[in-house]
Amino acid sequence: MSEQRQREPKGIDPEYDHLREDGVDEERLESLLSEYTLRRDEHENAPGFVIRPDDVQEVLALLRDEAGFDHLSCLTPQEYEDRYESILHLTKYANRTHEVTLVVQLPKHEPVCQTAEPVFRTADWHEREAFDLVGIEYEGHPDPRRILLPESWQGHPLTLDYDQEKPQVVSYTEHANPIQPDHREAESDTMFLNIGPHHPATHGVLHLETVLDGETVVDVDPDIGYLHRCEEQMCQNGTYRHQIIPYADRWDYTANLPNEWAVARAIEDLADIEVPEYAQILRTMSVEFGRMLGHFLAVSTFALDVYGDFTAIFQYGMRDREVVQDILEDLTGQRMMFYFFRLGGVAWDLPEPREEWIEKCRDFLDELPSKVDEYHDLLTGNEIFQLRTINTGVLEPEVAKDYGCTGPVARGSGIDYDVRRDDPYGYYDELEWDVVTEDGCDNHARVLVRLREVEESAKIIEQCLDLLEDWPEDERTVQSNVPRTLKPDAGTETYRTVEIAKGELGVYVRSDGSNSPARFKIRSPCFHNLSALPEMANGEYVADLIASLGSLDIVLGSVDR
Amino acid sequence: MVGGYATAPLQNGDTILLPERIGELTGLDGFGVGGELLATFLAAFVIGNLMLAMTGVAGPWAKRKITAAFTDRIAVNRLGPGGIFIILADAVRLLSKELVVPENADRPAYDLAPIVVAGSALLGFAVIPMGSGVHLADPEVGLAYVFAVSGIASLGLVMAGYSSANKYSLIGGLRAVAQNIAYEIPLVVTGMSVVIFAGTLQMSEIVAAQAEPLVSFAGLDIPRWYALVNPFAFVLFLVANFAEVGRNPFDTPEAPTEIVAGYQTEYSSVYFVLIYLGEFLHIFLGGGIIATIFLGGPAGPGPAALGIVWFIVKIWAIFLLTQWLRSAVPRVRIDQLIEIGWKGLLVLSFANLILTAVIVGVLA
Repeated sequence: MSEQRQREPKGIDPEYDHLREDGVDEERLESLLSEYTLRRDEHENAPGFVIRPDDVQEVLALLRDEAGFDHLSCLTPQEYEDRYESILHLTKYANRTHEVTLVVQLPKHEPVCQTAEPVFRTADWHEREAFDLVGIEYEGHPDPRRILLPESWQGHPLTLDYDQEKPQVVSYTEHANPIQPDHREAESDTMFLNIGPHHPATHGVLHLETVLDGETVVDVDPDIGYLHRCEEQMCQNGTYRHQIIPYADRWDYTANLPNEWAVARAIEDLADIEVPEYAQILRTMSVEFGRMLGHFLAVSTFALDVYGDFTAIFQYGMRDREVVQDILEDLTGQRMMFYFFRLGGVAWDLPEPREEWIEKCRDFLDELPSKVDEYHDLLTGNEIFQLRTINTGVLEPEVAKDYGCTGPVARGSGIDYDVRRDDPYGYYDELEWDVVTEDGCDNHARVLVRLREVEESAKIIEQCLDLLEDWPEDERTVQSNVPRTLKPDAGTETYRTVEIAKGELGVYVRSDGSNSPARFKIRSPCFHNLSALPEMANGEYVADLIASLGSLDIVLGSVDR
Repeated sequence: MVGGYATAPLQNGDTILLPERIGELTGLDGFGVGGELLATFLAAFVIGNLMLAMTGVAGPWAKRKITAAFTDRIAVNRLGPGGIFIILADAVRLLSKELVVPENADRPAYDLAPIVVAGSALLGFAVIPMGSGVHLADPEVGLAYVFAVSGIASLGLVMAGYSSANKYSLIGGLRAVAQNIAYEIPLVVTGMSVVIFAGTLQMSEIVAAQAEPLVSFAGLDIPRWYALVNPFAFVLFLVANFAEVGRNPFDTPEAPTEIVAGYQTEYSSVYFVLIYLGEFLHIFLGGGIIATIFLGGPAGPGPAALGIVWFIVKIWAIFLLTQWLRSAVPRVRIDQLIEIGWKGLLVLSFANLILTAVIVGVLA
């Protein structure tokens, strides 16, 4: 068991995960927001300002235009005993370590807040989710529907007085009927088409309500929530020490390991847990293998969408993914739900014999360049593939930022943003690697980014392997000492993000002094990347809608949580 | 019958068709028109079953094995040598499935469509000389006939598309029509260039015209196959043919992942089998036409009795090519497909026609 492997911590760099030296200039912010600030609020990750509910748009516009906070990373709604809170976590695409938190406190009897949607488009889906799960209403919101739960759901599951036992008795007539015989308006010459929830190209249970004019997409509205499990509440019911990280494996289940880090990072920040340097290297290496899993699957399923059948390129992706899975199976004992991360480190050291395992990894890395060449030969170099992907599904960088897109989707639009480098954690800033960007803004650019990122991951892993191989045997501490029952101070709250295969995965945690979180909020990159789909697909052919959806690389487990 | 390329298996004038041979062998030719008719039915039965048997091998087994070879897999390997008996298992499986008919389906059309799709392809084989005397009929307008009947399939696709009462089917059916119109013209025009060479529409004559040696060196005869005489036409015809049978990179009418399965979305059980059968038959018919008018039909080394073997080898080579493309080439978008058809292939096919006329003129 992991606990038995605990030894005296050695080689711990306490400041390692908390590099904040070039943080935001608080004094300047304070003077900028002086007119709007009711009082200050304490957040572990960023300066917090409490503002009035009807100042939201003004403050956001001010922060965006005057201070450069152009990334609304997350919106956390929550209910206290005496009030509601809607917390906006802002940061900059150009400088991730500059963070600011706006707290909007709302009265218990009337939780109504001004919408942030006119300033940041990404607030649209954030606020729909906040209304859906917590019941906060956003005044002026253009589309105040539920998003994850069915339209007919009664109550808001994350409120304090929500009765989980109460059955949701809703007659069928109260549901919107997706197969009603006629969606056609008189005089209209468009066709309504349900793409999904059971459709070969939706990669899971996604429903696209599409309006077609011939073969052209007039409107597309993603309908999500089919895989909603209220992971946030499940995490709130679990204890910090062991019961939350396993859930993270269930969000983005195609590349699970990076998710675990998001939880670990947030809780470690909350409870001031230190991570030994050796464990950081293990984390970094395993997460990059995890990223490869995700990218291989992303590229091969995108090929599936464009090619139309289980083709060679899909199988190539599966073939290479299999090798990575074998490697991770040796490392973690699992093939899918790895649960390799523990608070304060990882579960195990490398499997014995170490040399053999390292050799296996090196063999894979040695073969990787020729395999990536195969992808380029068969996929990106193919003229028909280029015909299909170049200049289709165009996502301009400004639009991508507005929708809060991150990860390969943002980097395919030329946005140089990667949390691994911009807000360093783990061992990333000790290693030599590059953030990949492409300026194409189209489906082709996103595929190229993923293929090049696989090579960057390989670089990182190679350096980690060298470090692990030479690490002195008596300093291989895989976990620091973490109390069995973890009770962070009541009232501490933090929002931390990591870069997973799909983008920026954020976790907000607030402690109430017990050993499980009072509020646990997940910011899923897939959720926000998907919200940009209409921008990419409207006016394009239906074939390009499918291709654009594939190039976003969403995982419904992560979208719906 | 000492073989070699020089021996044409179906010499002009003394062509013996399969019905006549069956009539002779069984003595049916003594029974007047009735006997002749029966002999013809028997011959059609033989040829139809030959083609259906090939499809039976291709669909459940060969396609799997070929695709697996392209994609680093093993595919079926449990039943019999190389998994060949999966054919039987699949036949039972497919036939025993429930036939689900959509509530709003337009019944006669919905039921007829699979038969039209499968039947039209079978009709085409009637005029194709397969060598070794397997040749049902040899009308003077053979080539025109074969294009005409294979064109009927589009009708079946439209019927399937609209009668299923499914929007994906509808889109698939519309795509199928647009595609077939766009590619049938270049196909026929390119086929005409062969007619200019051969001076006839009769299939046996076209084959016979390819039997003469084009050049010969070191005692080896290079036959006058039109694929070698005019490779440009051959490539054009191949491309148009892939669109005609709806295979990658032109499989937009089905477009799995895009419009689910196009016109065949709502078909299950036996109807599904029939539609699939029709598709495979069309691939084979396309291969048969290509083999006949570009690859010398049943010609090949060895005795002329081996003609049917060579013919089947050629058909399967074309089939293999479609499977290769399916595994390796992406699908073009519908607008790109139409553009390639009207702006590219059509122009090129007319250019080819003129080129052919010039070549023939110079040679003459």
